[in-house]
Amino acid sequence: MVLWSVIVIVALIAVLAGYLFVVGGQLTRIADLLEECAELVRRIKANAEPIRPGLEHINRTGGVVAGALPLLYGFAEGIVTGVSPRRDPDPEDRSPARPASGTRRSRLHDGVGYRPSGASTMAGHGAPRSEV
Amino acid sequence: MAVPEISVLLTDTERNLWTGAIVGGIVVVLAVAALLTILVLLVRTIEQRVTTVRDKLQAAVENTEDTALIAETADGVEAVLGEGLKHHLFLGRVYEKVRA
Repeated sequence: MVLWSVIVIVALIAVLAGYLFVVGGQLTRIADLLEECAELVRRIKANAEPIRPGLEHINRTGGVVAGALPLLYGFAEGIVTGVSPRRDPDPEDRSPARPASGTRRSRLHDGVGYRPSGASTMAGHGAPRSEV
Repeated sequence: MAVPEISVLLTDTERNLWTGAIVGGIVVVLAVAALLTILVLLVRTIEQRVTTVRDKLQAAVENTEDTALIAETADGVEAVLGEGLKHHLFLGRVYEKVRA
């Protein structure tokens, strides 16, 4: 009975000591990891600090640029309009462009011996010149 | 030197109570072992998740390492604005000449 009592008490103490050792090791590792996490969070904070002022700067400058661009291309349009030669519209000059030498019959048909019906037999000299 | 024998003089009731206490102690030891096993498993889970958090934070640090370039970009946009102002002045002069 006494021996069993001693065994039970020693077993209880051994179990408590063993698990305490294991849990202590785990908690130590967790503490190290959390310390590393804290350092990482500090680095992230340091990296994120210039984002807001930088973006505000970019947005402010970009807004000024965007507001000035219409002024610039307004100037450009005015310059292009100013330097282009003026040409009054001529209603008589609205017909399609034709060659000054007039048109003539193609000789390609003569080359292959083709004589379309109703065509002139004057080889080499085609249709009369059109009015220019 | 001879070890004297110790004889415990107990009544049957006392002996039964003692035996019950020993059995109860064994049960308590087993219960403590089970609960501490659960505790160890939970702490292991916490450790794994803290490791995951550490890895994510490491990735976030790597992702935000180039934020210093934002200031340089702002300077570049400022330079574009300066150049645009020069264009504005130039086009303004040309426009006045063309109109004249």
